[in-house]
Amino acid sequence: MIHFDNIGMRYGMGSEVLKDISFNLKPGSLHFLTGPSGAGKTSLLKLMYLAQRPSRGKITMFNEDVTAAKREDLPKLRRRIGVVFQDFRLLDHLTAVENVALPLRISGGKGTEIEEHVKELLTWVGLKGRMKSRPPTLSGGEKQRVAIARAVIKRPDILLADEPTGNVDPAIAKRIMHLFVELNKLGTTTVIATHDMSLVEEVGADRLHLQNGRLHMIRTGETVPNLEEEKFDSREFSSGTLDQNEFDPKPIARDEVL
Amino acid sequence: MTKAIHFLPDEKNHEATRLLPYVMAVMVYLSALALMGSMMLHKGFGDWTESLSNRLTVQVTTADREARETQVRQVIQLLRNTPGIEHVRKLNEVEIEQLLEPWLGVGNVTSDLPVPDILDVTVSRALKINLDALNAQISKISDNIHLDDHQQWLGRFLRLMDMVEYTALGILLLVVMATICMVIFGTKAGMAENRETIAIMHHLGARDSMVARAYQNRFMIYGLKGGIIGLVLAFVTLISLIYLSRDLASGLAPVPDLPMVEVGILLVVPIIAAAISMLTARITVMRDLRRMV
Ligand SMILES: Nc1ncnc2c1ncn2[C@@H]1O[C@H](COP(=O)(O)OP(=O)(O)OP(=O)(O)O)[C@@H](O)[C@H]1O
Ligand SMILES: [Mg+2]
Repeated sequence: MIHFDNIGMRYGMGSEVLKDISFNLKPGSLHFLTGPSGAGKTSLLKLMYLAQRPSRGKITMFNEDVTAAKREDLPKLRRRIGVVFQDFRLLDHLTAVENVALPLRISGGKGTEIEEHVKELLTWVGLKGRMKSRPPTLSGGEKQRVAIARAVIKRPDILLADEPTGNVDPAIAKRIMHLFVELNKLGTTTVIATHDMSLVEEVGADRLHLQNGRLHMIRTGETVPNLEEEKFDSREFSSGTLDQNEFDPKPIARDEVL
Repeated sequence: MTKAIHFLPDEKNHEATRLLPYVMAVMVYLSALALMGSMMLHKGFGDWTESLSNRLTVQVTTADREARETQVRQVIQLLRNTPGIEHVRKLNEVEIEQLLEPWLGVGNVTSDLPVPDILDVTVSRALKINLDALNAQISKISDNIHLDDHQQWLGRFLRLMDMVEYTALGILLLVVMATICMVIFGTKAGMAENRETIAIMHHLGARDSMVARAYQNRFMIYGLKGGIIGLVLAFVTLISLIYLSRDLASGLAPVPDLPMVEVGILLVVPIIAAAISMLTARITVMRDLRRMV
């Protein structure tokens, strides 16, 4: 479903943030994407949701060479991919319902059916009372759930979630993970970037681990192989989620700081 | 074609473009006046010069009444024998008195006043007559006979009218160009204002045409709104002008009624403004988006 072949990527004239990345994700698989802050998780996802083109190598998705895709072919591909952005990227002037309905509207859905469906999903993620609220009036966790609802509303072929549980309490995090797992069972190829090792262990899926721009595939149950940066890295695995926030002020928090 | 999706902020938040309808109104007002002026000049003076262009006037100014009458008869004879001349008529005394009235007043034309005889000649439009040859023959009869084909001053007058008309059309063209520039500017500002929104729409799989539709609809409404305001103002101006000139002219010259055909053409102006605005916005958005990744 997603095949990376010797991918390198840099921003502008900077040094490569991703180096020699090769992997193959089978249709219907579920993977976590882990690695310390700044390791390039978001960058890797950007390549997958076609927001960036790699500086070298070839990416194949839906059996199509997307690195060679023409601009006008991108919308068709993007409509098959659901994305939970790390910084949500909701439209501030639309209500929660309208935001979640967007992917359906874009692919030409009918108004009334859409609304039913959207309200159902929002209720499920615990936003029954915030349907008509606009993002600026929502809490971080509420925004995140709107973003998740928007990503899954169309039951996409591929779901890419960048820190989807970074702003919610453990109970809601579990509920969201449950949603992803259910969706995955229905056939959606899923990649979830996260720092939350307890969730990774609970779901027990394979991991794509990024470290200094390089990717390591870690099978379920395996520990991190002996990497050069192992010492620095080990902190992440031993200290769990709570301490993690101290070392890793997540970009998500920016909204609130500003 | 999917129908337009509402994804841009509501109108009251269009900071970058909210004054555009009013500028549009000014543009439409100016172009409506320019167009109207140009059309009325063209029609009014066109009709009038047309009616003059196949007329000749012959004046016989010989002082001696008897000699003059002989000469008049000779000239009439000559003219009737000239191919291309359809009709010759000598103005009678009453008509000549009427012509002189503005200068001399009523009843002041007496029989001892040396008044020239005037022949009104109608020339065929199909046949070109040789005016030089005719002039030469006429001067053989007497030096006091003058042929006036109005062409000299008419030509000058027509050149002036053409000039005025072209100026009006030039103004129209400039206004249209300025409008296009303004819409391009407004579209770009509107896009800059919503850059993130557009990027998100792209990530969700929206096509460029979907984004363009939102802008072209918005700018079409601006064009229509401004167009209607501008046109109403233009009509108010026009009607006031006609009303005023009627007062002023009071019978000296006929003042045209509101010309219906031209008014009909003017009604189309807001629609054209809307179309120009919409097309410009669409082209601008499509071109700008293609430059984005
Ligand atoms: N738009 C950009 N322009 C230039 N450099 C960038 C850009 N985005 C990210 N980078 C750099 O690329 C590297 C990887 O960033 P990325 O956002 O992919 O990390 P991440 O693994 O998602 O981190 P986090 O866990 O904090 O979200 C970082 O060094 C970052 O500074
Ligand atoms: Mg990130």
